[in-house]
Amino acid sequence: MKLRSFLRDKAVLLTAFFLAFVFVLIFLSVLRVPGYSIGFIAGVLLLAMLAGLLTEYLYKRAYYRQVEKHLEALDKKFLLMELLERPSFAEGEILYDTLRRTGKAMNDEIALYKRQSTEYREFIETWVHEVKTPIASSLLLIENHPDEVTRSIGEEIGKIDGFVEQALYYSRSNSVEKDYLVKKSSLKEMVYGAVRRHASGFIENKVTVSVEEVDFTVYTDVKWVDFILGQLFVNAIKYKQDPASIRIYAQEWDNRIALYIADNGIGMSEADAARAFEKGFTGENGRRYAKSTGMGLYLCRKLCDKLGLSITLTSCPGSGTTVRIVFPKGTMHLL
Amino acid sequence: MAKIYIIEDDPKIRTELSLLLTKYGYECRASDSFEGVVDAVLTYEAQLLLLDINLPVFDGYHICREIRKGSDVPIIMVTSRDSDVDELMSMNLGADDFITKPYNTQILLARISSVLKRTYQGGGSKTISHSGVTLDLSKSIASHEGREVELSKNEVRILHLLMKHPSAIVSREAIMNDLWQSDEFVDDNTLTVNITRLRKRLETIGVYDYLITKRGQGYMV
Repeated sequence: MKLRSFLRDKAVLLTAFFLAFVFVLIFLSVLRVPGYSIGFIAGVLLLAMLAGLLTEYLYKRAYYRQVEKHLEALDKKFLLMELLERPSFAEGEILYDTLRRTGKAMNDEIALYKRQSTEYREFIETWVHEVKTPIASSLLLIENHPDEVTRSIGEEIGKIDGFVEQALYYSRSNSVEKDYLVKKSSLKEMVYGAVRRHASGFIENKVTVSVEEVDFTVYTDVKWVDFILGQLFVNAIKYKQDPASIRIYAQEWDNRIALYIADNGIGMSEADAARAFEKGFTGENGRRYAKSTGMGLYLCRKLCDKLGLSITLTSCPGSGTTVRIVFPKGTMHLL
Repeated sequence: MAKIYIIEDDPKIRTELSLLLTKYGYECRASDSFEGVVDAVLTYEAQLLLLDINLPVFDGYHICREIRKGSDVPIIMVTSRDSDVDELMSMNLGADDFITKPYNTQILLARISSVLKRTYQGGGSKTISHSGVTLDLSKSIASHEGREVELSKNEVRILHLLMKHPSAIVSREAIMNDLWQSDEFVDDNTLTVNITRLRKRLETIGVYDYLITKRGQGYMV
């Protein structure tokens, strides 16, 4: 609170006082009161006014300074009212009470949305599990009645399964609660497991997979990483160019482990690569080659952020894309 | 072959799963009532149990616990929920493996055979024979009229897969998928090389034209 703005608020009071002051002085001199008496009265009046203003200014300044200090220090600004004490001047009291009430109303509103989003999330989780049963039985039916048509239906069902999985992880990535379990895991097992699970996709599309040195221990959630790898594999297959191959390898540096998934696909321009992780971004490839939702890489980045992994991508049009996932090696993340 | 009992509430999955497992040479039974299912499993003397978690009447955990009271039959839990809690629960209750729906059938079959192998190993070497050729899986040796030849890991897997389906065409994709499930990520060319080499090896023990190529479809023994 600046002194100037404080005085500006008091402009009416000050003008009135000044007019009254001048009037009193004139009035006294008309009454022929001796000069020293007038001087004394003027002094007393000025002093009283000054002292009153100064006290009020200092008091209010101290209070609002505290408000600003708390506000600055707070990470979640809306919690400010929890830290403040009720001031003892009238305007402050009104403002304090009003803010408290609006704050409370806002909290109720937030709680409502929180509950709704939790409910929605629970519904999605249940729905995903429900829908997995018909998917499983369809796949079994297809497996037991192999011919051209069912094989083709099988591919479509596989896509549905992929989208369902995306929906599940999207709702998980949005949840406020911690929904993952970081533990000591074998990178090799994760990579091999993910490749095994996507075996038919790779084989049908004639993609050669070579897994090199990946025998490291990392701290992360196996299922989430499995999902992320799956998204990357699907992309590698979608944007392949023959003869397609994908190379998976890992390197250790500075207490970190970097996993590389390198394909020799159609790649993308630098401009597209820079935006590849944005939500809904499809880029030139998404428009030209395969229909894309722009969700896969966005989800990868989001899940990586939550797990404390870094995911980056380099690409060269015509010669492939390399995705790098960096796992912190320390156990700090377990905490 | 091994007897498998399926506890699953979805009728379609139940029938299709038994059909699939029967096709792969297992003897199957599934129940459609869940009341006395524990006794049914024990009297059937199943060698493996496929158990769904979400069931009417009692859930899979309960059945798992009940069965463990009287039997050490290997149990594979099957579920559409993939939470860590479910997996942990299953393992704590004494299940041998855990697999989520929708399962890749190759993975399911691989898990079943590995659990069976783990539980019932012993009883001598495992061999499989078809029209004069015998494959010894534990020694990786193929034999014909007293002559033997050693095979590589991939060759054993390929030959085993083909011999498991005698007189049926097995597609190249299916063979590759089978190899991939044992972490051999072979591509098309490597498979051709493996097949050629397998044929040559078989010729050294006097077996000719054992692997028949069905153009555009796959292979057959």
